[in-house]
Amino acid sequence: MLEDPSYAEIVRWGDEGDSFVVLECEKFTKTILPKHFKHSNFASFVRQLNKYDFHKVRQNNEENGQSPYGQNAWEFKHPEFRANSKESLDNIRRKAPAPRKPTQAHDDSVPTQQIDLLNQQIVAQQQQIQHLSDRYAQMSVDHQLMLQEVMRVQKTVVNHENVIHQLVNYLVSMDSRQKRDGKSGPFQAQAGSNLSPSQAPPMDDGVSTPLQQASKLLSDMNAEIQFNLVGVDSMGEPPKTGGVVSTPTLETAPRNRVAPPPTAPAANPALVYPKMNGEMEPVVYPVGATNGIDPMYSEHVNNVPYTIPPKQEMDDRRQFHDNRKKSTNVDPGWVRSPRILLVEDDATCRQIGGKFLYSFSCEIDTALDGLEAVNKVQDGSKYDLILMDIIMPNLDGVSACHLIRQFDRTPIIAMTSNIRSDDIQLYFQHGMDDVLPKPFTRKSLLDMLEKHLVHLKVVSQGMEPPQPATPATMAGQSSAAQSVAVKDDGSPSQSPAAAMSAWQSPNQFQTMAVPPNLQQVQGQYVSANPAATAYTMDHNGVQYPAPPAVALGAAGPGTARAQPRRHISDISNGADNPNLAKRQRMYAPPPQAIVGSMQTTRTN
Amino acid sequence: MAPTETTKAKEEPAKTTKPRTLADMADSIDLATFDQILEMDEEGEHDFSQGIVYGFFEQAENTFTQMEIALKETNLGELSSLGHFLKGSSATIGLTKVKDACEKIQHYGAGKDETGNNDEPDLEVTLDKIKKTLETAKRDYKEVEASLREYFGDAAEPASSS
Repeated sequence: MLEDPSYAEIVRWGDEGDSFVVLECEKFTKTILPKHFKHSNFASFVRQLNKYDFHKVRQNNEENGQSPYGQNAWEFKHPEFRANSKESLDNIRRKAPAPRKPTQAHDDSVPTQQIDLLNQQIVAQQQQIQHLSDRYAQMSVDHQLMLQEVMRVQKTVVNHENVIHQLVNYLVSMDSRQKRDGKSGPFQAQAGSNLSPSQAPPMDDGVSTPLQQASKLLSDMNAEIQFNLVGVDSMGEPPKTGGVVSTPTLETAPRNRVAPPPTAPAANPALVYPKMNGEMEPVVYPVGATNGIDPMYSEHVNNVPYTIPPKQEMDDRRQFHDNRKKSTNVDPGWVRSPRILLVEDDATCRQIGGKFLYSFSCEIDTALDGLEAVNKVQDGSKYDLILMDIIMPNLDGVSACHLIRQFDRTPIIAMTSNIRSDDIQLYFQHGMDDVLPKPFTRKSLLDMLEKHLVHLKVVSQGMEPPQPATPATMAGQSSAAQSVAVKDDGSPSQSPAAAMSAWQSPNQFQTMAVPPNLQQVQGQYVSANPAATAYTMDHNGVQYPAPPAVALGAAGPGTARAQPRRHISDISNGADNPNLAKRQRMYAPPPQAIVGSMQTTRTN
Repeated sequence: MAPTETTKAKEEPAKTTKPRTLADMADSIDLATFDQILEMDEEGEHDFSQGIVYGFFEQAENTFTQMEIALKETNLGELSSLGHFLKGSSATIGLTKVKDACEKIQHYGAGKDETGNNDEPDLEVTLDKIKKTLETAKRDYKEVEASLREYFGDAAEPASSS
């Protein structure tokens, strides 16, 4: 077109061949444009040129002031648009769209990139969500674990509290025991010196302060009681002294003679003291022990031809009981508080039973029916004893016991008023260990506890006391008895030693209680005393029971075993005290089984 | 286990201001049993025993009501178990009369005679006996309830049981 000379007037190559010039805009628009374009609009043409990267050469015009091609001339220039080089036109074409295509591609790529980006973001977010949910799951698991841990910690804390509680109780009772030890100490010292003089000196040192304490306590005593004590002392003294005098170890007799007097007053005040403070729960334990001892002592005294002392003793005791009548909490001397599960649907029975158990220093858990009881045991609660009512809603006691027996051997005691023999047979068939007839009393309940929780009893060591003490007192007593008239129980053939061994075997005591080992025992005694351990306490308590124990043993096996029970009876029912025979009758039944075993051992 | 002179003597000083003594109730209350509940009280008050006894009042009145319903429905099994239930708690407190009556109801409800040893085949006889025994039980209960309320110091309270 540009080379067509006919149009030279209108449009032609520029002078330098690198541009083209539209000389006559009007003519170009009207004649040439329609031939090549669908329109005849010069402006559109220029726009097209611009799109193809043709540029109007304008600078020249402005710089020169005049276009070399005339006023209306439009010169367009393109780097590739040259005269006589048609091949370069391809470049122009491509070049024109080229810039556009890349941009278009760019436009397209932006969205895809964005989509990719979005996709990536979505994926990333999904991952994040996944991650979060994972973490959430992890957290909830952790949370569960923490909760469990907290629960466990809570349990532990509760247990610790219990332990602390027990410890405090124990310490307080220890304290009171210590005081008593201090009082009976002198006697120990003397006894120890009898057999092992080497032990005596340290003993005396240890005792001196407790003695002072004792005297201090004495001064606090009620005057009336003190009076009684004096009476008792003077009365009780003679038999003792007599016995000691005739002890085989005669060469030490002088010393012994001195010993008893201090012992009697010292120990008796000790008995009184706790009673005076009957309200203090921990102190009660000693009371129980001594109470159990006292009656026997009186019995023993009865066997000795001194008639007046026993009476005094009785009066004294009655007074004690009066004093402590209201003291409710009797510590039967557990090593630790027994955990008892009380299964009872009747609120009244549950409350009273719980209160009684509480007064025996037990930890109580309750269940309202057999189902709850089974669940509690199944959930891992550990009990030392289960008291089970029989007739209950949901699940009766026999069935509950049967179920519990599938996985647990905790002693279960049926509490029921249905105690016909076939009923009882049924209970035992389903794994019950014992039957506590309803309505139970405080005593029957405590008897049951002691029977089945012997392993928790400090008193099981408390029974030990008779042995160590027995040899000493027994020797004296027997000789005294022989010299006087021999006990009236009619079984003098039984030597003290035999009685002692009988005591010993049923209680699984070490052989140290046997007379030949007496020295050793006393040694232990002495060394333990200053430390004021629980054992010494019992030993001291025993000292008095010892003589009675011997007497009882001689009297008959049944009564012998009844001794520990008697502690209870004294504790729970002072009124019965004066009537020893009566009490004995009452308590004989429960220990029967044990008595039987004792009998067998005795016959050995 | 029988009540002794000493225990009774012990109780009196604790309630000198009360017109009644436990000894007056000895015919309907087993003092030994009741005493051991009183012994659980702290010195000088009766919080625990009173709580137990008043709790029992509630229990007894509910049980009597249920017994009457069961009687109307001639639900002997229910009567027997209600009798057993109240027997247990009354015995635990030592309310011997109430306990005895409840025991009879338990036996009657089980289709036995009052000793529980022999069968009582006649339903009418059984229901009649239960009805009478229930009346006795309620009368005995009211009596002992009044005594106990008096003992615990709120004499002016007539039981609200029907």
